[in-house]
Amino acid sequence: MNDGMNHKAGEVTTLTARDLRKSYDDFQAVRGVDFEVYRGECFGFLGPNGAGKTTTMKMIYGAAIPTSGELEVTGLDVKRHERAVKRRIGVVPQENNLDEDLKVRENLLVYGRYFDLPKKIVAQRAEELLEFVQLSEKAEAKVEQLSGGMKRRLLVARALINDPDLVVLDEPTTGLDPQARHLVWDKLRELTSEGKTLILTTHYMDEAAQLCDRLCIMEGGGIISEGAPRDLISEHVSAEVLELRATPETLEKLASIVEDVADNTDRVGDALLVYASDADAVMEKIREWSVEVDNILRRRATLEDVFLKLTGRRLVD
Amino acid sequence: MGGVRIPSARGAFRVWQRNAMIFRKYWKSILAPNFIDPLLYLGALGLGLGAFIREGGINGQTYLQYIAPGLLASNAMWAASFESTFNTFVKLKIDRIYDAITTTPVNAEDVVAGEYLWAGTRSALYGTAFLAVLTMLGFVFTPENPLVSSPWALLLPPVLLIIGVMFSVMGTLFTSLIQRIDLYAYYFTLVITPLFLFSGIFFPVEGFPAPVPQIAWLNPLYHAVNLCRELASGPSPGVLADAAWILVFTASLSLLPVQLMRKRLVS
Repeated sequence: MNDGMNHKAGEVTTLTARDLRKSYDDFQAVRGVDFEVYRGECFGFLGPNGAGKTTTMKMIYGAAIPTSGELEVTGLDVKRHERAVKRRIGVVPQENNLDEDLKVRENLLVYGRYFDLPKKIVAQRAEELLEFVQLSEKAEAKVEQLSGGMKRRLLVARALINDPDLVVLDEPTTGLDPQARHLVWDKLRELTSEGKTLILTTHYMDEAAQLCDRLCIMEGGGIISEGAPRDLISEHVSAEVLELRATPETLEKLASIVEDVADNTDRVGDALLVYASDADAVMEKIREWSVEVDNILRRRATLEDVFLKLTGRRLVD
Repeated sequence: MGGVRIPSARGAFRVWQRNAMIFRKYWKSILAPNFIDPLLYLGALGLGLGAFIREGGINGQTYLQYIAPGLLASNAMWAASFESTFNTFVKLKIDRIYDAITTTPVNAEDVVAGEYLWAGTRSALYGTAFLAVLTMLGFVFTPENPLVSSPWALLLPPVLLIIGVMFSVMGTLFTSLIQRIDLYAYYFTLVITPLFLFSGIFFPVEGFPAPVPQIAWLNPLYHAVNLCRELASGPSPGVLADAAWILVFTASLSLLPVQLMRKRLVS
């Protein structure tokens, strides 16, 4: 039935997973996930460490073989068409694995050769990509001379050398400083605006909110929720959040005061988070009782609230 | 999934090309040790020990003539062994070069085959240079007893390539089994050094009582030494058995490290 053109809402799927599973000995890293990624969108995998995100990525680019289930990239089964699938994707790995024995430009040239691309085309693309990731002036530098952010940008350029249909990014900005992160985000946004399909894993909620058209939240090897960032927020948490800071006793008192006007409350460290569709009512209630609150922060609910609600606040590893 | 993985020639060539590109940058700086080592043996044992066994030499050859071609074979062994152990380990576990390569259409099995070919190439390159030095030294210093005297010696470069591949297969097998780089100390002291000492480079093992010659027959380097020695001085038909031993051993072992390395790169 499948020719890679699964139409859903008139969109073309680049990636389809059905009941995808991966086990290592007696450990189930991925326990039956289903998802579809449409051409031209950025799809995110969120989740705490050990949720199965990286394993899922590895199955897409052939570094892990699915134990069962289906996984198709541009209509090609990853098990049966290993090389053909890898020909169509670009990979930005979690850990830098640039070729340190080669210079910056050479990294792109040699990598392009692995795809059997004509020398001329690779050379031309290498220049364009260095320009794109703002590394042209570093073309002749050694890889070890690059900063962390530059290395990550070079990894992005390398992943694009074969003009892939799908770019897989595993935690593309982990460990980067804010400036470097924003530069990588800008580049990734440019890619999606050019119509490239991206999938990325992250545990930065702001990254997911900034980049992803749709995302899923993974935990314990399964997908526990999926949708557009806005929809996930409205589905799982109230529109507004009040962060109240005060002494522990006062916070306890506050929790019971606001109980009937809040949708729910959550104690996090020295703060009480009050989720409310009507934050004014909560504020009014606090004023009525004239409780001493050190600090009140009123903000819109974010993806982080969704994430913490769904995956809990305990430390995973 | 499943089944024995057969490397693709094209993928293996891409990996070979990558190594060759890097070698072209650094060959001058890494060339010296590969020469100095066999020349030290040649000087210390060939001239030093050789002075005591001047009378009659070994099998009608002077001691220098006897050991020089054997050092060609061992040189190929050392070069391929370093390449397939430390160098491969760094690419596998430290620099993660193979992780990057295997996300492209080049598969893990191609990587291993490419490394075999590269180790063989490097052995042949160094070996050929060393062969040229030996030939020249022989003609200059001992023209009456040249170190390399037969036109069959022209076959030595491809033979050294195959010897290099053989030892690359062995080294890669060890690499595919270990998790820590310091374990190579075992490989070199318990495998490579004994092979080197009991290969017939420095003394003929055939004359010893059983089971010494039988054990020597199991030593891959023993056959490599025989082959190189005879090609340097004019071969007898017996070398075909050595050549066959090397080919059969290499071919039958070669796919095992491919499968094991694939398991390390693809879970």
